[in-house]
Formats: sequence, structure tokens, C-alpha cells
Amino acid sequence: MSFLDRITEGWRKNRKPGYYEDFDYHWAMTIDLDQCSGCGACVTACQAENNLPIVGEDAFTKGREIKWLRIEHYWEGEYPDVKLNVIPMMCQHCDSAPCETVCPVSATYHNQDGLNTQIYNRCIGTRSCAVYCPYEVRYFNYNDHTWESPLDQQLNPDVSVREKGVMEKCTFCIQRIRQAKDNAKDDGRRRVRDGEVQPACVQTCPSKAMVFGDRNDPQSQVSQSLNDPRSYKVLDELNTNSSVVYLKKVEAEG
Amino acid sequence: MKNFVVGLFGDPESALAAAGSIQTADLGTPELMSPVPMEGVEEVLGEKKSVIKRFSLFGAIFGGISGFLLAAITAVLYAHPTGGRPIITFPPYLIITYELTILFGIVFTVIGFFVSARLPNGLWTAWWKQDENRPYVPEAAVNKFAVSVTCTSNESVQQAEAILRTAGAEEVRDVTEEN
Amino acid sequence: MHGEPNQLKYTDIHNDVVRSIVETGPNYYIALVTAFALTLICFFFPWFYQLYYGIGAAGMNHPSVWGTYLASFIFWIGLSHSGTLLSCVLHITNSSWRKAMYRSAEAMTLFSLVVAAIMVMVHVGRPWFIHWAAPYPNQMEMWPNFRSPLLFDVMAITTYLTGSTIFIYMGSIPDFAAVRDRTRGWRNTMYSLMSLGWRGTDTEWHRLHWAYTFLAVLIIPLAVSVHSIVSWDFAMSIVPALHQTIFAPYFVVGAIYSGTAGIVTVMFVLRKFMDFGQYITELHFDNLGKLLLVLSLLWTYINVVEVFTGFYSGASGETEALNYRLFGFYAPLYWEMITFCAIAPLLCAFKSFRTSFVPMLVLSIAINIGMYTERFLIVATSLSRQYLPDAWGLYVPSAVEISILLGTFALFTTLFLLFVKVFPSVSMYEVKETMESPKKSPPAASEGSPA
Repeated sequence: MSFLDRITEGWRKNRKPGYYEDFDYHWAMTIDLDQCSGCGACVTACQAENNLPIVGEDAFTKGREIKWLRIEHYWEGEYPDVKLNVIPMMCQHCDSAPCETVCPVSATYHNQDGLNTQIYNRCIGTRSCAVYCPYEVRYFNYNDHTWESPLDQQLNPDVSVREKGVMEKCTFCIQRIRQAKDNAKDDGRRRVRDGEVQPACVQTCPSKAMVFGDRNDPQSQVSQSLNDPRSYKVLDELNTNSSVVYLKKVEAEG
Repeated sequence: MKNFVVGLFGDPESALAAAGSIQTADLGTPELMSPVPMEGVEEVLGEKKSVIKRFSLFGAIFGGISGFLLAAITAVLYAHPTGGRPIITFPPYLIITYELTILFGIVFTVIGFFVSARLPNGLWTAWWKQDENRPYVPEAAVNKFAVSVTCTSNESVQQAEAILRTAGAEEVRDVTEEN
Repeated sequence: MHGEPNQLKYTDIHNDVVRSIVETGPNYYIALVTAFALTLICFFFPWFYQLYYGIGAAGMNHPSVWGTYLASFIFWIGLSHSGTLLSCVLHITNSSWRKAMYRSAEAMTLFSLVVAAIMVMVHVGRPWFIHWAAPYPNQMEMWPNFRSPLLFDVMAITTYLTGSTIFIYMGSIPDFAAVRDRTRGWRNTMYSLMSLGWRGTDTEWHRLHWAYTFLAVLIIPLAVSVHSIVSWDFAMSIVPALHQTIFAPYFVVGAIYSGTAGIVTVMFVLRKFMDFGQYITELHFDNLGKLLLVLSLLWTYINVVEVFTGFYSGASGETEALNYRLFGFYAPLYWEMITFCAIAPLLCAFKSFRTSFVPMLVLSIAINIGMYTERFLIVATSLSRQYLPDAWGLYVPSAVEISILLGTFALFTTLFLLFVKVFPSVSMYEVKETMESPKKSPPAASEGSPA
């Protein structure tokens, strides 16, 4: 009977689309492009925190570098009168993520915190998620990577090192979220306080352009930031419902 | 005593005619063996019905139901929300249903074929050998048309042989004696 | 027809087909050993190297994560589409010209599918875990994601492989029985096992006919669904130039098109090297040529529609992808494809072209080169030009990939060479059926049929 019960319960619980919005957290990030200088500190921080491989010159020239967070450069105008626009681009943790539906083995799915997760152990490397992702933020391990000494001493023990044939991408530093939740539980709190958890990129940003927090909490800094009139989502017309919101750079007319 | 009298014919018409006269002579329904499917067998020996279509239908329905349930139940047992879609999502599961409908339709058609054609021959004995109760003439696989009559007495053997010969059999054989 | 000097007899067919199985000349062994060696050298060794090193052995990179492996997969699935599908359609429409060629066409289906399935394993990053895509109860309590277009593929291809295998086997049972009596030794044992004790009785024929017809009826919608589903691997994404509703019919037509061209190639080879000139005649090439003409026109139409809708949408992503395909880095390949697949087949409008063997062979090979290019372009051009210009890239296949691509042909040839020695490659009983049945030879025997 328990088998049937599990099915009916699961049906009732999961039939409704977007049901995970009822959960405790819905992590989101805003990036203020007015404050972003494109310095790349977040890229380095991400590399250090998440055990990103240093692919080497050969793989780099083949276009196989792995940067969960990259700074996109867009140049405007001709040489003397030239302007550079930068935009940090990482996994947008879409609520309607195209990459999740296509994985045949459920190696990527939406967890209860509104995060788009990637399970390295389960991945079989069809790379279809990278094709389906319109933001091009999924990176594939084309071969095994090694860390030369003393870099191997620097690896983060909380993050697994990925083997060849596995897809990987930004996790919003899920290990830090886990840690913060554990701390909250130890302190007898039900919820993580706003600002208690910061991904490496947010922590490092020298101009405080990035804000991370829980979208379900209307008082949180990120929720305030989301209401900014400058806010927009990249490729919003594709209806991916991304969780990363950019605040537009304000420029003088003409 | 059970004997098989087999008449070999060079052409399908005389074989069919012989089969008809065997049946009218009350010697039971003969078996025809031919290298190609013969036309007009049902007019002479009566209509044939097979259960294959029932098997196909059952297989298709069974496959369809099990296909949908496979997708739906496994999704609910270990819920992986993806892309903001509901856990039980009809459009993609209908495709799984469609494929399994056809898969089981095919598999059950084959089972139906084996059951109704009584193949493989002599499953429980040495099934790659010929079943003793089923006569076989190798020529019937090449260019001869054979009519096989099951006889239980000496008189019927002679009667069958006579009919086959008058019908123009190129050769008449008693298969049981050969074995 | 009766009494003509050229008239084939039942025994002639029998002897010809049995001869094609049991009499093996040195040329066959040379061909087999060559094909097998090429398979090892061009296919398996590079693949093993890739398994050891990782997908990095291929030329794929960050935006273009799919490459020739996937193109080959679609190509081989496409090539598989004419054999069984065509055979089924012609069976239920009672077209008798199918009968001499369908066995080898179905074998083509089967082996193309096998090659395509192997290509999936070459394609994925961790093929040693590929069984996770199959639905089976396991200790992890994990099931595959049935919402994924790739899983539709798994289901569809499994079904298609099962269906095609059963279809070709069912159709061969009477022929196994016929060959069984003419062989000795291990061949006799093998054919005895495979013929399941078939005797050719009227009941058996009746059942076989119905089972075969039901299978044909089931396999036609299956084959259409298989390539639709393969197209959905692309069309379900939101990549510009891939997210198109025309993709399912486009792929199905393309599949039948390349498959028919493949049949022409295989027919030519069988005719030439197996001495089946009496069975595979100008009539077959004529009919296949007509089919190629129709399919090429359909294919051209869909291509025009694709370009037109992309152009008409005016969406920046679509327009960019379209421009890139038509005039970008890969443009020479695009125009090569148009020449081979849209313009060259128009020659089939002439009967003299359709009935000459060598030009048809050249055309069929050209069409398949064009169709491979089509699949390559779908993957390469769309992925290297997606929404974010910062992530644009370029993809060029590596030596390993090209070697594996050539190796797939060697693998296919090896399998096919083994097939012609195991299966009667011309369906004996159905060729016999198309001939006039033997008439009563001595007129004296025609009396005495009281029925």
C-alpha cells in the first residue's frame, strides 16, 4: 500500500508547475553593471573556490577553457571613439531551464532551493544541456585535468574534482549554502539570515556590484535590488525565468 | 498406426486439386507444403483465421498503458523537477507511450505468429530436429508442391495414394516409413 | 512468358542464392579482411584512444559541443530509414518490384542502426555509464528522465532496432528453411536453428503473411516517429536555426532520401559482385530513380521553406544563423550540399539516366555525401552562432573524428559482408512469387482432378 501512497502523494504534490516556489529559499543574484568594472576578480575567485581546472595553453586555444563565470566583452564604435561594455555571465539558474528537461539521466535538475544543480556522478556527457543552454554557461571536461604542485594543495575539499566526460557549471557555490544552512540549524534558527551566505564571486567583488540572497524573503537585499527600475534579465524573451538579474548601466545621452 | 502419405506435384494447380479431392474423399484435411505462398488455398480447404491480430491488439494496448505508467510512476517515485515542468508531463510521456505501444505491438505479433503457426517446431524435444508428427519434404522448399495426408489405417493409405496419383503427383511417398 | 529462353525457374533461384552463401571466392575474403582491418584501424583504435583521453580527442569546443559524431549518428539513422520503411510500404501496397531487393535493403536498415547506436556511445563523454539512459530498476532508485528528447531517442531507436530485426528475420524464415536442406555441417545446424522448423505448409504461409503485414503496418509509423524524434533532439532546444517546427518532416524526408540513395549504392554493389544481375534489374534502378527524384524535390522544398521562414522572421538570432549558414565559414559546404542534393538528382527526370547503372551509382554516392554535409551543417553552423556573440566559436573536426567517420563505413561494410554469407540476400520465396508458377508439364496428367 505504501507504494501506491507514494505515487498518489507524489502526484498531488508535483502535478502543479512551479511548485518549488513554496520552498524556504529561492536563491537569486543581481549584478549592477553600473558598478561592474570588468576587473575579473570574480572569475579568479570562482576558479579558486570551485576547483576549476587550469586547462593549459593547448586546450585554451581550442576554446575549451572552463570558466563558470566569464566576463563578456562587447565593443561599440570604431577605433578612436570606442566603448567597452562588460557583462559577467554565469549560470542563470533559470526556473524554466531548457538544460534540465533535455538531460536523459536527470543529471541536472531543479532543487528545492530554486537552484539549477549539476550532479557530476550521474552525468554521462551527452552535452545536450550545453546545446540547449542559451547563455552558453555549461562547460564540458574534454579530458582529465591535473593540478601541478603546489596548486593541488589549494583545492577546495568541499567541492568535488570533476573527471573527463562530465559537464559542469556555476552552482551558486552550493557548498557555502549548505554550510550556512547547517550553521543556521546548529544555532536553532529555521532560516539562513540575509547576507549570511555569499558565493565566492559576490564575496570578492571589489565594487560590490553583485548581491546574492533569498528571493522568497521580501526584506532581503536581493529582493530590494530586484525591484530596481534598471533591472532586466538577459534573453528574457526566451522565457527561461532566470534567477540572475542585471541592473542596466546608466549612460549619458548622446 | 499413423502414416503420412505425401504427394509431390510440379505445379500448384494440381496440388490444390488433389487436396480438394482428398478432402471430399473424407480423408481429413490435407496439409499443403509449397515453396511460395499458394493462392486459392482457402477456397479449397476452407477459410483460415488466425489469432495474430488479437495478439497485436493486446500487445499494443498493453504496451501503451505500460509505457505511460512507466514514465509517470518512475517520475513520481523519485521526483526530479526539471525546467519548471510538472512531474507528470503529458506531451513527452505520450511519445514514450507511442513508442512502447509499437514495441509491444511488434513483440506480441511475433508471439502470436509463433503460437498460431506452431513454431518453433517441437519446442520441448530437440526442437531443431524435425518433429516426427509433422512430415517434411525438402523438395517443397525448392520447386515442388506437396500434399500431405494423415492416414490412420492401411486402407486410407492406399486410397490417398490412389487419389494423389490420379491427380498427377510426380511422386508419392510414405513419410513415416522413411523415418 | 512461359517458354521464353530467358525464363528463370524456381530451381535457378534456389541454386543462385545458395551459391551466393556457400561458395566463397578469395575476393570475398580479401574484401572482408580489408574491411575488418579498416574497421579496427580507423574506427576502434581512435575510439579507444578517445575513451582513454576523453572527448578532447575530437575537435569539439565550448560553443560547439556537438560535432561529427552526432552528425554521423543522424546520418546512419537516416540511412536506415529506407530499408525497412520502404519495404513495409511496398509490402502493404503489393508492389512486386520490391521483392528482389528488399532483403538487402532491410539489412542496410539493421546495420545502419547498429552503427548509429555505436555512434551514440562514441559521442557521449562517459559511455561506460550509458546504461543509465535505459529504464531498469536499480539500487540507486534512479530512473531516466522521460521528459528528455534524448530519452525519446533511446526508446525510439530501441523499438526500431527490435522491429527491424524481427521484420528481417520473419521475412527470412522460409528462406532459412530452404537453405537448410542444401547445406551441411555448422551451416546446417545454424539454418535449422534459425528456420525454427519451418515446413512451408499452407497454415504457416497464412500466418506468416498476416504477421508480416501487421509488422509492416506497425513499423511504418514507427519509422516516421524515429526520425521525427531524432529531429526533436535539435528542434526542442531554443537555439536559433534549430528551434523549428519544420524539422520533423525535414528529417524524415531527408532520412528516406539518403536511405533510398543508399539502397541504390547497395543494389549496384550486389548486382556487380554477387552476380544478381537477373534479379536486380534496370526496373529497380528506374523505380528507385523516380523515388529519388520525388524525394529530392520534397527535400528542396523543405530547404527553401526553412530559409524563407528564417529570413521572414527577422529575429536577430535567426537571421544571423541563416546568414552564417548561407554565407559564413561553412558556406562552401552548404552550396556543395545544394548541388549534390537539390540540383544533381534532377537528372533522374531522364529515363536513360535512371536505367544506366554507373551514373546512378555516382549520383547515389553524391546524394549521400550531400546528406552527410546537411547533418554536419545543422550541428556545426547552429551551435557556433548562438545568442551571445561573446560565446561564438568555430568547430573543425579533428583527425580522430574524420578517422572514426571513415571507420563507420568500414564497420558497416564488414557487417554487410558477414550478412550476405549468412542471410539469403535475395528473398527466394518472394522472387519465386513474382514469377509465373510452374505449369503442368505433361498434358496427360491434367485429367483426373474431380474438384
